[in-house]
Amino acid sequence: MKPILEVTDLTGGYLPNQPVIHHLDFTVKENEIVGLIGLNGAGKSTTIKHVLGLMEPMSGTSKIEGQTFREEPENYRSQFTYIPEMPILYQELTLWEHLELTAMAYGLEEQTFLTRVRPLLEEFRMDNKIKWFPSQFSKGMKQKVMILCALLVEPKLYIVDEPFVGLDPLGIQSFLEYMVKFKNNGAGVLMSTHILSTAERYCDRFLIMHEGRLVLSGTLEELRVRSGLENATLDDIYLFVAKGKVT
Amino acid sequence: MIDVNKLWTKRRNAHVTQTLKYFSLMANSGLIVSLILLIVIGSVYYAKLLQALPENFPAVFILTLVFSFWLTKSPIRTLLKEGDLVFLLPVESGMKQYFSKAISSATATGAFSTLFIFTLLWPIVQVFIHDGWKMYVTFGFFLIAAKVFNIYVSWEERRLPYRSHQTNYKIMRFIVNFVYAYLLFNEAYLFLIAIFAIMYVLKNFVFGVFKKQHGYQWEMLLAEEQALKMKGYRFVNYFTDVPALKQTVHKRPLLNSLASFSFKKKNAFSALYMKTFVRSGDYLGLYVRLILIGFLFIYLIPAGWWQLIVVFLFFQMFALQLFTLYTQYRWNVIFMIYPIKQDTRVKAFQNWLKYLLIIQGALYGIFYVVLTGDWLIAILMPVAAILYSIVRLPSMTKKHITLTS
Repeated sequence: MKPILEVTDLTGGYLPNQPVIHHLDFTVKENEIVGLIGLNGAGKSTTIKHVLGLMEPMSGTSKIEGQTFREEPENYRSQFTYIPEMPILYQELTLWEHLELTAMAYGLEEQTFLTRVRPLLEEFRMDNKIKWFPSQFSKGMKQKVMILCALLVEPKLYIVDEPFVGLDPLGIQSFLEYMVKFKNNGAGVLMSTHILSTAERYCDRFLIMHEGRLVLSGTLEELRVRSGLENATLDDIYLFVAKGKVT
Repeated sequence: MIDVNKLWTKRRNAHVTQTLKYFSLMANSGLIVSLILLIVIGSVYYAKLLQALPENFPAVFILTLVFSFWLTKSPIRTLLKEGDLVFLLPVESGMKQYFSKAISSATATGAFSTLFIFTLLWPIVQVFIHDGWKMYVTFGFFLIAAKVFNIYVSWEERRLPYRSHQTNYKIMRFIVNFVYAYLLFNEAYLFLIAIFAIMYVLKNFVFGVFKKQHGYQWEMLLAEEQALKMKGYRFVNYFTDVPALKQTVHKRPLLNSLASFSFKKKNAFSALYMKTFVRSGDYLGLYVRLILIGFLFIYLIPAGWWQLIVVFLFFQMFALQLFTLYTQYRWNVIFMIYPIKQDTRVKAFQNWLKYLLIIQGALYGIFYVVLTGDWLIAILMPVAAILYSIVRLPSMTKKHITLTS
């Protein structure tokens, strides 16, 4: 499988000489969902910001399809969509206009946009709300708008930050089904989450972060071997790591 | 236990400090010079306007109307914060002192601003009703008394749980205020005493009853406080950037056609900027206001080429204000990661601003030609807008980009 995202020896942070993440090495390949797991403050969001090209690495690189953000900013960013942890919407735009703007910004043809958007809206039961403004939406609905925008583009890579909070069970189900469908079509997904039972079922590989470092990574089977916990669930391994027992 | 007395003092001090800070920022901004210029010109023409008013100018009626609205509208800054809904609810019974301080403070501001407005209108009173310092003192006293009454009573009104009920009582207050002001400006003091009696009854037996029936409407109080705060911020925002300013959104479906663009990647930002402009109360409101005030100035200032300078000042004011839109999406990650070049974004923004400036210039031109019949200067007004956008906009954008990145 071809790697889509390659992060190599990535170190970065908000203040000079005070890195928050240290020497991260990982990849997200075609046809896989990778779970990014760690306690609050472990450095997940910082890692994601580096991948998005919103923060400059102190050292190391983050490459998508072999290019860094510096080399080809426009091209780099057209390869992925991002679902943020907190929904961020334009107060002045309706649901439909959010979708339209996203499609335009990512260079979709109008016809492609129209064929993709209807089934998505129906799947997430938002088809009767296309004229609504964000102020009328609940937290979960706002999250759905973010998800719809990201799914609409059908990029090579999805970067998803804690998508389940505030989403109703049907919404979670629909979202996961779409993720699996796109994965099977060749996309890669980097998903940060605390909902470990879901991660265990849907992710092909895991990256466990602790205090800014990648302490364990691999499939569930590999994690079990490396942590020495036989038959352990992802929960057990995660708690084991979080208590600082793996270095 | 929270000491609500200290809490009020703390918040009021913080509020005063913040206001002073904003005042100093406003004083430093270049816009204040143009504003002072406009005020000076404005006051000269105010005097002229007074002389030009006809003998039968309905001064009493207009003053009555102005003060009926002014008295009815009784804002109270409670300085509540969002967190109070959680943290102050448990001390609700102790909040009486806090709110009574808020009311006292609102009374002081209300009395002062009433006197200020009355002083502004005093020349009209002098010419059409009655001159002399005794009149000034008498009218001033009665107006302030009415303001105090309105603030106290409207506080009780705020206990009503439904907006529609509050509105009904507001209408009732409006009627009382209208009669009061009308009698006052007709100098019918005897009848005024009768109105005082009615006001006394209202205060004690109508509005006074709400206190026993209802608690505080926390959410509404908070909403009012936030609206007032935003209003203050919007005013300051005319002079300097206010990061805390939240925009209010209006749907305005009739204007949608202005913001429709063909489905192309390069139009993404143009569509976003135009839709934001059309639907945000502040941008469109500002645009319309500046155009109308511009008309007023073109009307008041004698015809001539210097009108182009006036128009230029208005372009500058508008463009300066609108640059906040460029930075509005600064914290929106989704906006930041669109695969679109920075250049495209800057260009979309400039084109959008140019478009609005040309419309503004064209409207001034049309108004000018209707007024004076002078085609040359009228045509030069939209041309000035084009020149302005070519000469000034790129350097202004550059400054903003370096400031915000």
